[in-house]
Amino acid sequence: MDAGPAYGYEMTKRLRDRGLPTVGEGSIYPLLGRLERDGLVETYRAASNGGPPRKYYRPSPAGRVALALGVSEWRAARDAVDAVLASVTIEVAS
Amino acid sequence: MSDFVAQCRREWKRLGVPRPLAEEMASDLASDLDEAAAEGVSAEQLLGNTVSDPRSFAASWAAERGVVRAPGGGGRGRPRALIAFTALAAVVLVVAAVLLATGEPKLSLVQTRTGPSGSSRHVVQAASAAAPVEWILLAVAVAALGFAVWLWSRWGRSRRYAFQ
Repeated sequence: MDAGPAYGYEMTKRLRDRGLPTVGEGSIYPLLGRLERDGLVETYRAASNGGPPRKYYRPSPAGRVALALGVSEWRAARDAVDAVLASVTIEVAS
Repeated sequence: MSDFVAQCRREWKRLGVPRPLAEEMASDLASDLDEAAAEGVSAEQLLGNTVSDPRSFAASWAAERGVVRAPGGGGRGRPRALIAFTALAAVVLVVAAVLLATGEPKLSLVQTRTGPSGSSRHVVQAASAAAPVEWILLAVAVAALGFAVWLWSRWGRSRRYAFQ
């Protein structure tokens, strides 16, 4: 969504294109509903490419703050896990 | 897939989702399913396991939007049993307090011994004694009210979480 406003199905396509094919499975709608309820996204209706008007989502100012915090926390967690796993040597018997 | 959307509509109606909101969600879902089908993406791929359970899917979506209680969140109003229990405890408390304040009647449980064998029994007696019924009533009422407060706080928390 940070890359540009998108509607529900469009987001699942973006996720699929980025290697996360299963994220959208049924969970994208409740998730968007929660973000909207929490004021983390703004919505508007606009015509899609030749299709009916769709509900587009984009991050709200509060959503951008939450995104920045979330990304920071995720990277910190990822680095910590990487540091632990760096010393792990896996030998596979052939 | 229109059947899936239709079942979602029915569930939203049953849950009391405001009609404009239900229509909006149904329209978005139908458009997404149509677009996915046109691109060769099946409903199963788009919706995953939820495709076999439209009621749960619809309820989950509505709950996350904050328009209905989360599944399993209980009824909408205050539980009647809890209201009745709280009222009863309050009445007992007031009655016990009034009895203690007015001093009438002075009832108490006393142990009496009957017969040469020394067998005993408890009787209620109009007298001042160590275990007056009013005090017992008051203690029971206070305990019951405390329990009611705890139940109300739990109910309040579950209600808050349901709408988060």
